[in-house]
Amino acid sequence: MKRFLRYFNVYEVIRPIGQLLAFSVGTAVVMSVIVMVLALVLDRTSIGASLMDKLNVSVFTYTLSNLPQVVIDGLTIGFVYAAIALGYTMVYGVLQFINFAHSEIFAVGAFVGVEFLIFLQSTGVLAGASLFMAYAYLILAIVLGMLAAGGLAVAVERIAYRPLRGASRLVPLISAIGVSFLLQDVIRLVEGLTTGQFNRIMPTFGNFDQRVIFGKLSMGASKLVLGISIKSIIVIVAAVLMLVCLNYLVNATRVGKAIRAVAQDMPTASLMGINVNRIISLTFLVGGLLGGAAGVLYALKFTRIDPFVGFFPGLKAFTAAVLGGIGNMTGALLGGIILGMLETFAGSYMGIFTAGAAGSEYKDIFAFSILILVLIFRPQGLMGKNVGQKA
Amino acid sequence: MVSSYFKELLDKVNQGPLAYLFIVGHIMAGTFLVYTQPRSNLAFLVLITSFLSLYFFRADARFKLFIGALLALVIIPIIGVRNIFYLEVIFQISVFAALALGLNIVVGFAGLLDLGYVAFYAVGAYLWAFFGSQQFYVLHYAPGTQPSGLPFLLPGDAFYMFLLVGVIIAAMVGILLGMPVLRLKGDYLAIVTLGFGEVIRVLANNLDKPLNITNGPQGITPIQRPTMPEFAVDWFNTVFSPLIGHPVSRADMYNLMFYLFALMVIIVIVFVTRRLDDSKLGRAWTAVREDETAAIAQGIPLVRMKLTAFAVGASFAGVMGVLLAASRTFISPESFSFMQSIGVLSMVILGGSGSIPGVILGAATVTILNLQVLQGFSLYLNDLRQSDAVIPVINFAWKNLSTQLDPAKYQKLLFGLILILMMIFRPGGLIPAKRRKREVAPEDGK
Amino acid sequence: MALLEIANITKTFGGLKAISDVTFSLEKGRIVSIIGPNGAGKTSFFNTLTGIYKPDSGSITFGGKSLLGLRPDQIAARGIARTFQNIRLFPDMTVIENIMVGMHIHYKQSALAILFRLESFKKEEKAAEQKALRLMKYVGLQTGENELAKNLPYGAQRRLEIARALAADPQLLLLDEPAAGMNPQETEDIIQLFRNIRDKMGITILLIEHDMRVVMNISEDICVMDYGVKIAQGTPAEIRNNTRVIEAYLGRGAVAGQHEEKMQ
Repeated sequence: MKRFLRYFNVYEVIRPIGQLLAFSVGTAVVMSVIVMVLALVLDRTSIGASLMDKLNVSVFTYTLSNLPQVVIDGLTIGFVYAAIALGYTMVYGVLQFINFAHSEIFAVGAFVGVEFLIFLQSTGVLAGASLFMAYAYLILAIVLGMLAAGGLAVAVERIAYRPLRGASRLVPLISAIGVSFLLQDVIRLVEGLTTGQFNRIMPTFGNFDQRVIFGKLSMGASKLVLGISIKSIIVIVAAVLMLVCLNYLVNATRVGKAIRAVAQDMPTASLMGINVNRIISLTFLVGGLLGGAAGVLYALKFTRIDPFVGFFPGLKAFTAAVLGGIGNMTGALLGGIILGMLETFAGSYMGIFTAGAAGSEYKDIFAFSILILVLIFRPQGLMGKNVGQKA
Repeated sequence: MVSSYFKELLDKVNQGPLAYLFIVGHIMAGTFLVYTQPRSNLAFLVLITSFLSLYFFRADARFKLFIGALLALVIIPIIGVRNIFYLEVIFQISVFAALALGLNIVVGFAGLLDLGYVAFYAVGAYLWAFFGSQQFYVLHYAPGTQPSGLPFLLPGDAFYMFLLVGVIIAAMVGILLGMPVLRLKGDYLAIVTLGFGEVIRVLANNLDKPLNITNGPQGITPIQRPTMPEFAVDWFNTVFSPLIGHPVSRADMYNLMFYLFALMVIIVIVFVTRRLDDSKLGRAWTAVREDETAAIAQGIPLVRMKLTAFAVGASFAGVMGVLLAASRTFISPESFSFMQSIGVLSMVILGGSGSIPGVILGAATVTILNLQVLQGFSLYLNDLRQSDAVIPVINFAWKNLSTQLDPAKYQKLLFGLILILMMIFRPGGLIPAKRRKREVAPEDGK
Repeated sequence: MALLEIANITKTFGGLKAISDVTFSLEKGRIVSIIGPNGAGKTSFFNTLTGIYKPDSGSITFGGKSLLGLRPDQIAARGIARTFQNIRLFPDMTVIENIMVGMHIHYKQSALAILFRLESFKKEEKAAEQKALRLMKYVGLQTGENELAKNLPYGAQRRLEIARALAADPQLLLLDEPAAGMNPQETEDIIQLFRNIRDKMGITILLIEHDMRVVMNISEDICVMDYGVKIAQGTPAEIRNNTRVIEAYLGRGAVAGQHEEKMQ
């Protein structure tokens, strides 16, 4: 047992799980309290009165009855954002470069996974599969998505970024934008050539759509049903697993130490004998693996995907990375969870709270507004340090 | 070695009477081809590239001006009215050239990567769209529910005044957007401007309640145009009808008029840009772009310079927005997407960041690729689909190719490829910016 | 009253005290050098002076007015010009344009004048070009005025940087290792240039330098820094024999060695 403990750093597994737990619970509690207080306040205003007229329910009751689902949805999407955000933050940490194309890496992962499952469905395998095989196929789809995305990320770095490494900062960024656009249309092209359809739907199989109910509360006229869909459980569990593995890789292995060294001081790291090019490729690979898995999980949760599915989640995940402190892995986790929660809460409650004036369609620019505010008022993010520049 | 041989050859040709011959010959060939083959894309390309000849070959400045005016004011209008599609292409080139020139000031001169530039374009367009239409009276109606017969807020001729208003309002929006954001460094500035661009688009899509300001995704229509005097149509018809081959309608005249407006705006923009470039402002922008720390040490106020670049660039987009709204009589949020911002960026990068002729060339090239080449592919593909032909190596019948596969819709591929290839192979652009050679004669006695 | 008065300036980065409680005053019309081992805080001192860093505490007064809280471009406008340790020219601008940028604060061109090429604009541009040419000659730049700055040889680049700094008509010129990488002849020329600048143009010069020939030759006063602290100030002769200075540069053993030599 002791030998096992010497080679296996248990602390580095428990620590991120603990962090994720703390972030999740903390954000959930804070957001819930804010929203409940707002609801109570609004119940005394005209908005509360008009809602009572229309739907015969107080703002508070409405808020409370939706709360569990909102929290779970917020966490689910938050973990997905965190997984994507890690890809951005790792590359930024090592190269001080925003990999604009990461959103398409995510999309490619989603497409590969979904197409694989659609293929399985067409051969009839999915329909007759046992529960165990269903899960196996899902995991296989995720792995395929990961591999495709990871490979693509490494290829993109080699072809479109590495030749530009010496140039001014804007040059690789412009190239990255080009890659992002190119990949979006390449996905469209491939889909157009092979299936003729751009919108792909994740096949239903296994027990993923079922819900696990773990409680019922009655509150006056309405009933509160506490449950969580199996899909969400899968997404959360898978995301947590990936995040823990990544954290272990970076903080408890030799390779991870090399990555951190390159991120801190590239010339010195290369003087110490670290093959910087290989580490950079590895960083892109790992970021791609995570992004690809996040893509398949996203497809599982939201069912429909199209070639432009990467744009918004990518931008939001980037916001999450900046919110948490770009270059900082824990920050990416925190940022992802916070952003996921904020966005879901806003999407669910803004319509009711503003009596329809501003509804869930503003959900998307919610993230942008946060991005702009963070970059203006606290560019180092929640967990970053303010490092001045030496002239 | 081959390229230097080529360069020598080009140099030898590019002087004396031979140069004049080339220019005139090119234009005549182009005109003749387009006149006799009104539907040929290739003929059109030959004519359009004669502008390039005009630029590259060495000739007397007044000669170039005269020939240029002839091309732009006589030949193009006639050709354009004969085949209205060409006028549309040229109009689009003009609009995008103006946008590219504006973005050129922000990206090319001051070195600020603005990914949300299209927002200023939207501001100008919606400005005239709101004031030059019935939208003011539709404020309290949901989109699609308004009664017919509502009045227009302003007469169509207010358009001229709004060209100026568009400049001012867009500049103000530029300063407003720029102030919180221009302290950020390159990467972050890019993302934030992207965010701003998206915010504007979402607002355009959703500001139809509680007050219906933008009429949501349906857009605003009809938008008024300035009045066109009858005698103009008649005069044009009497003079040019025989050349054109058929009488010219009002609609054609309107298209021509807006083309001329666009041309005038571009001339003003080029004029302003060149003057600004060759002054303390232009030098300060270049300094800021090349080395901010050194620029500050010379006393250059960083944020103020960047704000000025932003405002000037925004004003160009604003005025073009007003023009667009009036010429189309209809605008919708679709024209102001992130893809459009990147499209303009790819024009600047392709042509030559910081170079005025380069950027115009970039705008023309991308627009033509977009409208004609991609379209051409699309039509060719459709022809193949109708036929019984088969893709050679893999024996796949063309007609089985999904109808979803339409090259005309693959602009993102085009823009993306342009950006990547230019950054790797020729970051300076097709016509890179060059510093002006000053001729300073030292004064005596110093 | 001294031209430049610095009192108790401290600047910390994270845990490192780059400058610690430095007090310093500079009289008008003098040439003063700041020396010290690498990492002593000399360039940080310049950066704090020119507003790139904000000091944690202390005061900086220039010509009687405080410089605290001003942006670097505002400080430059007050009359302080500088060159940089690793030359910061504008690489893709021509020689003459680099110098003309240096005059930025003095241009009075209005937007109207620029747009319509009014007489006032044309005259100012012409005067600026002439002044730039004169400065080129003054610092001994042999290259053509339309040469791109990045194509210049090293020595010419250093001179260009000085010309650009002079273009602003500053009262105080901060030079960060201006003689670095120069051969003995170039060094001689540059010493002469500094003397000229002080004598003919009346500009006060503060320079950071490692080349002791330059320092000892030209300085009227020398300030020595080590680990962010000012450890000595005095005339070249005084500094040459100051034990703390020798210790800082050469280590304790060197001082002991000197004693031994004297004893023997």
